[in-house]
Amino acid sequence: MSGGGHSDVKNAIWMRALLMAGMIFGLGLASYVGLGVVVAGMKETAWDDEAAHFHDAEDAWKDAVAAGEIDSSDKNEPLYEAKEDAHHHEIEAHLSYLTYRVSGLTLLFVSIIFAVFLGISGIFNSAQPDEEHHDDHHGHEEHHGSASPIIFAFGCMLFLIGFPDFADGLHSLMMGSGNDAISDLSVSMIGLTIITLGIANWWREDLPFKGYGEQLATSDPFDGQHIRKVGIWVFLMSEVMVFATFFSAYLRMRTEWCTKWALDERNCKEGVTETVMTASDYLRPGGAAGTGDFWTLLPGAVNTFALIISSYTIVLALKVAKSHDYKVPSGFMGKIMPDKKSAIRNYLIVTLALGTMFIVLKLVEWSHLIAEGFTIGTEQGSIFYVATGAHGVHVFAGLLIMLYMIFKADTVEWDEENAQGIEYFGLYWHFVDLAWVVIFPAFYLY
Amino acid sequence: MFFTLFEVGAVFFEEYPGTDTRVSVYVVWGILIVVGIIKGFGIGAFFMHLWDDPKIYLRVALFPTVFVLLMLWGIGLSNPEGVNGLPGWCTPDWGEDFTRDR
Repeated sequence: MSGGGHSDVKNAIWMRALLMAGMIFGLGLASYVGLGVVVAGMKETAWDDEAAHFHDAEDAWKDAVAAGEIDSSDKNEPLYEAKEDAHHHEIEAHLSYLTYRVSGLTLLFVSIIFAVFLGISGIFNSAQPDEEHHDDHHGHEEHHGSASPIIFAFGCMLFLIGFPDFADGLHSLMMGSGNDAISDLSVSMIGLTIITLGIANWWREDLPFKGYGEQLATSDPFDGQHIRKVGIWVFLMSEVMVFATFFSAYLRMRTEWCTKWALDERNCKEGVTETVMTASDYLRPGGAAGTGDFWTLLPGAVNTFALIISSYTIVLALKVAKSHDYKVPSGFMGKIMPDKKSAIRNYLIVTLALGTMFIVLKLVEWSHLIAEGFTIGTEQGSIFYVATGAHGVHVFAGLLIMLYMIFKADTVEWDEENAQGIEYFGLYWHFVDLAWVVIFPAFYLY
Repeated sequence: MFFTLFEVGAVFFEEYPGTDTRVSVYVVWGILIVVGIIKGFGIGAFFMHLWDDPKIYLRVALFPTVFVLLMLWGIGLSNPEGVNGLPGWCTPDWGEDFTRDR
């Protein structure tokens, strides 16, 4: 394959990254103010009212018990029922407050990280002389080599080496005791800085790239196949093994746990009546925690829809990018996608929005589970949060790559010569979707 | 999306709608596994193009299956019931020589 070439990316184009960063941060800030401050503030007031109502009802019940007017074990007593009812309303008000507060905060943090990535890349690249923004040293048939992946990987290594201390440092900062926090955070922060610079440099190298022709493998078993495509497949299969380790831990423990389901099916050891609570016990109706209903199952189901639809939108973006003659759709779709460039960009923006919604819903769900008492401090909580969190990190990493793809769609443009970029990223995104298809039933439903 | 609704429905209903019969955990397992396989096949075959691409990619995709099967076997062996409680085909023919409580 050959063809394509490179476009000359001037500083003005990189400055658009700063503009995008500002827009995304503005959206995140507006979402935070709307959801996390205004609506959450109203919900907090409602929660305070319900809590006061519950304490009044509890005091009335305690006074009646102390006066000997009612029996404390009588659960049909109206005062007891009023207390339990008020408690139920207080819990609902608390969860409602958490929903808006966590949504607003998540959107704010996600938008800050998006803006930082775009902003640093924009500043880093626009600060360089214009003449360095094209790489004449690459002929059409030459290898499109880059040191950026190695820089990126080195940054990841430093980040992970320092991660245990980083987590401790963050925890102590959140708890208000910042002793040694700076030294705890230092190694990982250096790693994050190197990662960001590696990505910025990667963007600078890739943005002008319009497809020099794919390098082909020349030996078995991949003879004649695109090297980059083979690489992404091998990478994805290594990812399968990463997720397999989480499943092995979960399955190994699950076969030993006496859950409510196992107890009902008489699969527990003789004499064991205590049940282990898994996430699904909090989420599904009839679970041991007694907190599950339609609304607790909904976020996970909506997240499944979101990932599957986002997989479809990226397929649509690839289809448009590879098409030689783009036909403007009729009606509303034609208005928002009047040309090939805007169609690809908008499909990618929809994918980004759906992925962001996934992260928001996941954190809202986590906050509810933690509020109900399902924390990372137990075996089942540890396995659940590490496995679903690792998947969330994969989604988030995909969103950061998607940001760049949207930026490229809006500036240099994707076309039939360089559409492999969307195709290979799409493989990663579909894999993340596939992993969720397995995680959702195993960790949330069963 | 239809399949996801089916999955959620499988755990949402404790009894078969309109009856007093409890939905067995084995029925839930069956539904979750079958729906998972259908969805996984759809994503792998069509979204990831394994249906049309050269078969070498399918072989690459199936390669980790060997390790996943080994993992499941390992889980069976390391289960407290692994030596005596699981069916014979799960465990090698070690007899009782390697168990502590002979």
